[in-house]
Amino acid sequence: MTKDDLIALSPLIAIALASVVVMVVIAFYRHRLTALICSMAGIALAIAMLPVAASRAPRQITPLLIIDQYALFYFGLLFVASSAVALLAYTYLGRRERQPEEFYLALLFATSGGAALAASNHFASFFLGLELLSVSLYVLIAYPRERARSVEAGIKYLILAAASAAFTLFGMALVYAELGTMEFARIGAEMIRAARPELLLIAQAMIFVGVGFKLAVAPFHIWAPDVYEGAPAPATAFVATVSKGAVFALLVRYFANLGNETFQSFFPALALIAIASMFVGNLLALAQHNVKRILACSSIAHMGYLLVAFLAGGSLGATAAAFYLVAYFVNSLIAFGVVTVMSGRREADELEDYRGLFLRRPWLATIFLAALLSLGGIPLTAGFMGKFYVLMASVESALWLLAVTLAINTMISFYYYLRVAFMMFRDAPEGEAVPIAAPSLSVISAAALAVLTLALIWIGVYPGALIHTIQSMVAGLIRL
Amino acid sequence: MASVPIEYGLLLAGALFALGLMGVLVRRDIVFILMSLEIMLNATALAFVTAGAKWAQPDGQVMFLFILSMAAAEVAVGLALVLKLYHQFKTVDADAASLMHG
Repeated sequence: MTKDDLIALSPLIAIALASVVVMVVIAFYRHRLTALICSMAGIALAIAMLPVAASRAPRQITPLLIIDQYALFYFGLLFVASSAVALLAYTYLGRRERQPEEFYLALLFATSGGAALAASNHFASFFLGLELLSVSLYVLIAYPRERARSVEAGIKYLILAAASAAFTLFGMALVYAELGTMEFARIGAEMIRAARPELLLIAQAMIFVGVGFKLAVAPFHIWAPDVYEGAPAPATAFVATVSKGAVFALLVRYFANLGNETFQSFFPALALIAIASMFVGNLLALAQHNVKRILACSSIAHMGYLLVAFLAGGSLGATAAAFYLVAYFVNSLIAFGVVTVMSGRREADELEDYRGLFLRRPWLATIFLAALLSLGGIPLTAGFMGKFYVLMASVESALWLLAVTLAINTMISFYYYLRVAFMMFRDAPEGEAVPIAAPSLSVISAAALAVLTLALIWIGVYPGALIHTIQSMVAGLIRL
Repeated sequence: MASVPIEYGLLLAGALFALGLMGVLVRRDIVFILMSLEIMLNATALAFVTAGAKWAQPDGQVMFLFILSMAAAEVAVGLALVLKLYHQFKTVDADAASLMHG
């Protein structure tokens, strides 16, 4: 490994280093703020190394990892999201956990797993990244270990994630047995002259089980509401954003390497999954009374929208998908961030907890409203621009059925987003106590939420800069 | 040395995988579910070793080592969760852990 390789890998190394530092520090000195500062310093260092690494890109480092514009873009997205989760978790953990420090450790491990996924170019790194992400997520989800729901959610996630990972591994083994290579690019090249294409099709479908599980798209979505509800709110934010974003980055890279022919043979199945995800997610959300469950169901639908952009293909589709993912990250982080800061001794996830929030906490309610409207896709928000680009890409590729389904589902989704929003404007009935004593906002959480809200509006009003960045990184991927 | 055809190895791995999957679906005791998961993972490891033998490459065995260590990490977290589950629900029956109905 040369010096240039190490420089290109430096963002990943910084995150790995930070996790080791945090592990050693909390072994000797248990202090929540110190753990937060160490983690944030590591993430900040990793983000600072991104432009340096970009000067060496694109670069294949060992057969396992490739550092290119695409990987670095997703690195940035994942790192920013996990630093937001770390900041939001700070006050939350202080209120509820006696030993909150290991949360940051698991967070850093999970982030490095996600980053490895975004850069992986080989089945081995795919598997290692996926498992590093999964095992850390079990810890994050079941972190409040005296809370029955969290432990239940952790076990459910563990069993389903391990089973789906086994499917993915078996698919990889079949591909390897058939083609004799585990590198994405060579798989794409060898696939054309494969002796048994039907076996390869089964193998690819098995690999997709693991990916679909992590994305929580329609047939693999059953875990999402329970895990979202049971996990502590910051961990839920992480599951909704970093875990899905990293796996989606891998999915796009994998199919970009496999070539158009494989993509076309998977098109009908993926289109069906996208349509099912949109309908199942939105219809399930209508019946929920728990804010975290509503957001879980809406995230199933959002992954469906994202698949529409992915299916549109080409550079426009890839641009729309990346843009939509950024908007989805911002929206979800704000929404779960509000749930996080509202939670005092218990999780503030019932719809009733938000009754009259606008009168009690006008700023918090405004931020939550902005996130809900953006998730729905009201103009001047990031979510609107995201939906707009996805629709444009799908119309450009003449995917009329998908475009119409997306439009119908956007209409359905307004019902439950507005239901939460109306609850915030309602007055508490006379004589009843205030539903939940919302704890005061700490400076750290307030700053994180404010920055995210500014990003939401900035992307919505002035998307040009972001689109430009995404276009240049997508161009690198398509050329591969 | 007369070699075993590659298909036999893959078929055995497939059969083990199916048995493990059945165990995960049918068993209600969480410890047995974890064991069934291990069987599934070991089946994939066997498939990798078989495939590696077919191509005479070390890659299959490298993946086997990865899978082995990952399965150990997974079961370590899994058993810790089972202990906590037992504390909370006083049972290791998977059906008991259903406070939330998905």
